[in-house]
Amino acid sequence: MSRKYELVYVVSPDATDEQVADVHTQIESIVQRMNGQLEKTENWGRRKLAYEIGRHKEGTYVLEVINGDGDLMKEIDRRLKVIDQVIRHLVVRVDEEQAVVERTRTRRTETSRRRRIARGLPPDRQPGEGQRGEPDDDRDDRFDIGGEELR
Amino acid sequence: MNGKKGAAARGKAGAAQLAREAQRRPMFRRRKVCKFCADKIDDINYKDVKLLMPFVPERAKVLPRRISGTCARHQRKLRTAIMRARQLALIPYTTE
Repeated sequence: MSRKYELVYVVSPDATDEQVADVHTQIESIVQRMNGQLEKTENWGRRKLAYEIGRHKEGTYVLEVINGDGDLMKEIDRRLKVIDQVIRHLVVRVDEEQAVVERTRTRRTETSRRRRIARGLPPDRQPGEGQRGEPDDDRDDRFDIGGEELR
Repeated sequence: MNGKKGAAARGKAGAAQLAREAQRRPMFRRRKVCKFCADKIDDINYKDVKLLMPFVPERAKVLPRRISGTCARHQRKLRTAIMRARQLALIPYTTE
């Protein structure tokens, strides 16, 4: 039973780039050993922590999206607890949530299309249509966050 | 503003009268709309600090529904997202 998980971990700011990469390779090897799949890796770089963890005020954030079963995540969780360089980590299961989001989204576009056709309009919204101040493009810039926004 | 000043001048009785007036003609208040329903934001994600920050006021508590106007369903999701973001030190638990 394969599930989709998101793993975010915070590496101590004292760690070198090699050490950060080393944590990543360790996780990668566990994933491979236990027949998982590493879907995506994202390095958010160094950011300020919202509160001090131990004596650290900063940390390097890394996000990994992993396909695998519960035992695999258990092992990764156990391993991350052991590594001293990792000051915080979080594992979240995302597949069910994503399916729900996907479903509501398609349902919404379907209803909107049906209604628009019933009103004699083209099924998709034309540029320049809609309320003022509403952006036309759906560019996803939600994760472009600067460190200064954190208090 | 003006009515308030008058009430202060009239003292206790004036304040009571003002309260009665307020009951008769309620203060105009804009109806609150759930931000997530209005903007059609389906996933309230813990990684999305920019989205969560307006719901975490200065003391770093979760903004209550009666103030933000968020619907029950989205408030629940918001709460989980904030709690997760707090674990990762993306959002503070408290400010000293």
